[in-house]
Amino acid sequence: MAVCIAVIAKENYPLYIRSVPTQNELKFHYTVHTSLDVVEEKISAAGKAMADQRELYLGLLYPTEDYKVYGYVTNSKVKFVIVVDSSNTSLRDNEIRSMFRKLHNSFTDVMCNPFYNPGDPVQSKVFEGMVSGMMVQVS
Amino acid sequence: MAQCVQSVQEFIQDSFVPMVAVLCSEDAEKVTRKNNLNFAELLRPFCRLTSEGHIRDPNNQVQPVKNLRISVNNVCTRPAPATGSLSPAQRRLLGEVVSSIQPPEGVTANIITAGDHDLSFNATTPWFEAYRESFLQSMPASDHEFLNHYLACLLVVSSSEAVPVEQFLKLSQEQHRIQHSGDYTNPRWFIPNTLKYYVLLHDTSQGDEQRADAVYEDMKQRYGSQGCYLLKINSRTSPTGADEQIPDPWSQYLHKNNLLSQVSAAVNHHNGNNQLVLSSAWCVPSDEMPDSMQSHPLQLDCPPSGGLDSLGVLPPGGPTAARAAALAAAGTHGDCLTLNDHDHIRQFLQEFTFRGLLPHIEKNIRQLNDQLVSRKGLSRSLFSATKKWFGGGKAPEKSIAELKSTSGLLYPPEAPELQIRKMADLCFLVQHYELAYSCYHTAKKDFLSDQALLYAAGALEMAAVSAFLQAGAPRPYPAHYMDTAIQTYRDGCKNMVLAERCALLSAEVLKSQGKYSDAATLLIKMTSEDSDLRSALLLEQAAHCFINMRNPMVRKFAFHMILAGHRFSKAGQKRHALRCYCQAMQVYRARGWSLAEDHINFTIGRQSFTLRQPDNAVEAFRHILTNDSQQTATQQGAFLREYLYVYKVLLGHYLPKLPLPCIHAAATRVYFGHERRLAEGEKQAATNVSLDQEYDQEQAVMWCQLEEQAVASAHRGVVPAAFQPSQCCLNSQTDNLRTPLAVVEEPIIVEVTFQNPLKVSLLLSDLSLQWSFTPRDLSSPQQGDLPSDEASGEPITNDKVGSLVQLYITLTAQSSQPLVVRGQQDLEIRGPRLNSTKEDKTSVSHGQDQRLHPLITPPMPLMEVFFLQFPTALLCGEITKAYVEFCNVSGVALRGLRVASTHPHFFTFGGVGGTSSSSSSAASTPLSPTSAEVCSAYHTLATPPGDPHHHLHPGHPPPPVYLVSSPVEGLVRGKAVAVEIPLEGGVLRPGQSAQLPLWLRGPDQEGVHEINFLFYYESAEKGGRISHRVLRHNVFICASRSLSVCATACPSSVPSADHRGRDAEDGDHLNDGMLVFVDVENVNMSEAGVREFHIIQVSSCSRQWRLHKCINPYKDKGTHVGVCTCVYTQKEGRAGGLSHPSSVSVLKHLFAHVQAYVVEDNKQLILEGQLHVTLQTVGKEAFSLPQKEEAQEMVLLKFKPDLPPPVIQPSVEQLSTLIKTNLHYPETYSHPFVHERLCVVPVTLTMSNCALAEVEVLIDLRHKTISPDSTEVHGTFTWLGQTQYRRRLRPQEVAPLPLRACFLHAGVYNLSTPRVFAKFTTPTRKEEEEGGVAVETSQQAASPALIIITSQA
Repeated sequence: MAVCIAVIAKENYPLYIRSVPTQNELKFHYTVHTSLDVVEEKISAAGKAMADQRELYLGLLYPTEDYKVYGYVTNSKVKFVIVVDSSNTSLRDNEIRSMFRKLHNSFTDVMCNPFYNPGDPVQSKVFEGMVSGMMVQVS
Repeated sequence: MAQCVQSVQEFIQDSFVPMVAVLCSEDAEKVTRKNNLNFAELLRPFCRLTSEGHIRDPNNQVQPVKNLRISVNNVCTRPAPATGSLSPAQRRLLGEVVSSIQPPEGVTANIITAGDHDLSFNATTPWFEAYRESFLQSMPASDHEFLNHYLACLLVVSSSEAVPVEQFLKLSQEQHRIQHSGDYTNPRWFIPNTLKYYVLLHDTSQGDEQRADAVYEDMKQRYGSQGCYLLKINSRTSPTGADEQIPDPWSQYLHKNNLLSQVSAAVNHHNGNNQLVLSSAWCVPSDEMPDSMQSHPLQLDCPPSGGLDSLGVLPPGGPTAARAAALAAAGTHGDCLTLNDHDHIRQFLQEFTFRGLLPHIEKNIRQLNDQLVSRKGLSRSLFSATKKWFGGGKAPEKSIAELKSTSGLLYPPEAPELQIRKMADLCFLVQHYELAYSCYHTAKKDFLSDQALLYAAGALEMAAVSAFLQAGAPRPYPAHYMDTAIQTYRDGCKNMVLAERCALLSAEVLKSQGKYSDAATLLIKMTSEDSDLRSALLLEQAAHCFINMRNPMVRKFAFHMILAGHRFSKAGQKRHALRCYCQAMQVYRARGWSLAEDHINFTIGRQSFTLRQPDNAVEAFRHILTNDSQQTATQQGAFLREYLYVYKVLLGHYLPKLPLPCIHAAATRVYFGHERRLAEGEKQAATNVSLDQEYDQEQAVMWCQLEEQAVASAHRGVVPAAFQPSQCCLNSQTDNLRTPLAVVEEPIIVEVTFQNPLKVSLLLSDLSLQWSFTPRDLSSPQQGDLPSDEASGEPITNDKVGSLVQLYITLTAQSSQPLVVRGQQDLEIRGPRLNSTKEDKTSVSHGQDQRLHPLITPPMPLMEVFFLQFPTALLCGEITKAYVEFCNVSGVALRGLRVASTHPHFFTFGGVGGTSSSSSSAASTPLSPTSAEVCSAYHTLATPPGDPHHHLHPGHPPPPVYLVSSPVEGLVRGKAVAVEIPLEGGVLRPGQSAQLPLWLRGPDQEGVHEINFLFYYESAEKGGRISHRVLRHNVFICASRSLSVCATACPSSVPSADHRGRDAEDGDHLNDGMLVFVDVENVNMSEAGVREFHIIQVSSCSRQWRLHKCINPYKDKGTHVGVCTCVYTQKEGRAGGLSHPSSVSVLKHLFAHVQAYVVEDNKQLILEGQLHVTLQTVGKEAFSLPQKEEAQEMVLLKFKPDLPPPVIQPSVEQLSTLIKTNLHYPETYSHPFVHERLCVVPVTLTMSNCALAEVEVLIDLRHKTISPDSTEVHGTFTWLGQTQYRRRLRPQEVAPLPLRACFLHAGVYNLSTPRVFAKFTTPTRKEEEEGGVAVETSQQAASPALIIITSQA
């Protein structure tokens, strides 16, 4: 379902990026990086409206020709970005939402690991497995 | 979108200006050519009118025309290229324009701080503006709009002409022919009757002025005063007026024009019909020198080479050369023009515009307006119906199918819709935007209703623009008009050129309104595959839009910059591409986006390289390789190849600093001294320090202590304040703050750790270590180079005194392909991070590391030590002999040789002169005592093997061997002492060697022992920087168990015969004698080789006691085990203060001289040994072996500290001895059985709690279940009363329990039948685990308690 899943640290460096067609990794890196601008824009817009009760899910950040980019920001400003193939019309907003929730839960588990140093790249196998599950699930 | 020099209004106005054509006679051309210009060029700088004009609109309202610019061009009859796209030549031209303008260097760039990004970039993009200008100028004229159609034509004739009027006529006819004959589709003319303006060009320098005036008068008559002009130029006679500074307004225009004309020339070649004589000037680069014209491939005279090939023929240097020529010739424009002439030209243009052009336009607007008004009577619907019904006349001509497909409809030139459009365009050109807007609006509706897409789009575009330009803005800018127009142009008409123009205009307008986001979207939409240059420029502008937004979108900026850079590079604009990538790099740098960063760096590297900026290229490539790369191996391989290739190209001038392989500077080890020789024949060299050893902190401390001991002993027991432990091998853990000292002519070995961070292999060869060196006496540094093939060790030898300054490593790196680069790397070590003071903690500061900066000192002695016949395994207590050889291998004498050891009692030295190294001579060489104080304590006799002596008699022949130490002595002193080694004369001369016998005694404890020796020596010459030198040696001795001697001293209760009397007098006869029991046990278990032990001799030594008598119950001395010797000793004159010597320290030492027969390798060997026992306390056993409880002295394997031992559960034995019982009763009891059959005896059972816990005791008096075999019924007795008691006993409480026993017969009875059970009142842990119920344990039965019952008569 997702073709690229990324976790971005508060300081906007990648904690985890995985994309399915590996030969196009660079493209996805660029896409995710560029989407951060939109994320920031959305946060700053929402930040004024309701400071505390911000919806973590940001919705569609922007569509490109081939992909749709969705964003999600935790309260600690860790960003999740999911890139989905545009042709995949079966994915509804709700499904994306639940994917993000799953991602968030799994990331929380990673953070709970006492051996994980916050700010380090995520290398958890459980997380990896969960992400792979979300990527393969489609077909 | 970047900031522009022009305002939006200016930009749009300048994009659409009235076009004026020029037709020139040949003579007139000659006149202007004097100035290196043609007529159109001559006018160009003055085309912007400074004064304000006026025009009357159809309602007779006066409209001001401000700041009008007109465009004057030569007539060019070449057919226009297909309108949908630009011709290749035009593209080339645009490319040239863009690449010719580069960001100015050194200009302070704009700096924007967005979030945590600091970006510096060029706020203006002049190349884009230039592109835009050129693009708009090169717009091909189109049918659907008239803005760039010629409005007027200037007919220029020179006054020197024979009959100027005739010439005018000719030109006029020519113009008419061009416009109306239908031969030429290009140029296009606005209105059928084009304004013709007659210009008489008069060359003041040569022509007859009066004649010119006359002709002018004639012209006035003929064409009216408003239709002609006399222009006088070339008033300067001397063209080389270098002294006079005249501004050259042409240069800025002609620079671009030059390129333009070249391209047009190329196009002309292509078309091949350039016979037009009149306007020959337009295609000859006006500023070119004649000789360059000869060779220029584009010159007119050259026969057309035909086809597109001529474009390909363009030499690469062509445009550049032309540009250079243009620049060189820039000063020569307008040579013959004075400032007055400039004014003349300006006046002429003003006159032409205001008198000729504007009235002409005004007139036409009026006409068109009238036409339209007259037609207004017809209803629109009827009008369109007519169109439908009468397909031929007014209805649009649906001529060709493909035309329709591209642009929808094609109107005939006279179509009323086009008339509206024409009028709108005229109004627009004269800045009457309100009228223009309404006209465009009307036209748009018409076109749309006709489905004429191209026309409609054009009208929409212009409507939007004129709406924007209306002063006071009565209506908002209709952005959707623009969007529709762009979409129509692009999708409906497939006309990218128009779409692009539209997008450029719209983007500029949106930018002026701050709608950057819309502008960006618009620009990005316009990027397409057909033109890389356009896409690149538009993407770049889009990027600028993102950064100029209120919340700057840095990443989008960067991303679009990368896209732009990519397109630039595809378009061949390398410089721009590089700039774009560099700007994008600012956002990506060092932010963890390594994949993107690598990509950008790689591209930057490539572009820099192609632009011949190898330094930048190297820098960029270095980044890719040194950063922790996440790329795949193939990618890394590619990077590496590129990088090496760049280096190879670069290599010509200097040795580059290679980033690969990585050097772990901190892991560098520096070793001072020769590499260790392992062995020399039989000789085994001292281990010393070597690079093979890992650094061990504990070891280092130990060696340091040893050295301190040695130094202290050399300085009479005081360690000098300046003492520093000598360090031979420096690594990251040693103290590197001091400058290390190296000795002249001794090598320094540097071990460098390389790491290849890549996934591809890296081939290194020809490694060498280079150094620079500052001699002490000379200030000039020297350089050295030492090639070495070894990878680990790099020896350097110095023959000068001074300090080593810097080390480099040169190496040759090689990738898999034969691409070899030689480079160097600096070897610099940063010290550890300081962490002592607060400042150090808060900031990041590093200490010094002097590892690589040794100081070379004058020669020092260098000693080597060899061991001969040094054993590796010994029995405990075994004494053996080895030889040690000291060699002075340096040129300096050494003295003060000492040795300190961790096991001082392990060895002692024999005398000097052991040069003959046979072991048999040992007995014959008398050895002097090595250390007086130690030696005096022990005199041990080493008897020859087989000597059956048991006693040490005073007055025995002097012992041949002195042993230095004993474990006792070492323990007592608690501090080891360095031993001076007896050398002949105390000095070892250069080249000399001395051999000494070394006596070793096996350690008392079995196991592997590490024994460390530290040899200390100093130079015989005083005053060196190095006070002393040391040599380390460590050996491992495996000790196996031999015999265990156990001795017990007991005070003898039987006084000795001869002293009985005296002792009685003293009154303390108890201490008179002492019995010493000696048990010898063979504890050697595993050694198959050891056959048997013989006790050769037992001796003792004491200050207070002496041997009296020896009793050996086993006379056969050759026993294996259990030799028990009783030695009867006696006090020998007590010291006054010692009242109870039995309880004080050392009573005596016992020595057992042992022989062992060992079979080893089928050979019988006799080993000798000596065991010591120290008796210290009376009544306590003393062992020769250290007690087993003690931890083993040496543990070879080091483990983490063990877990704390588990809580020991009391064993059953322990639990069964908790309570001790005792029976108190009369031993004999008489009872008159005759009188009374029952004899009752009171018995008290005393229980004492031995434990330190409360114990519950159960006493069971019932007899044990009678076992079948014990049938002695008669012998039984019974306990009376209670049979079971329960008692609680407090810790260590003693409690009596009265009992009564009943006997039936006289006899002997065993009373100890009560069974006692005990348990802790608090359950033990084990019991808790097993269920919490305490189990009572049966206590050990007391010893038999016999009672005798006698029968009383």
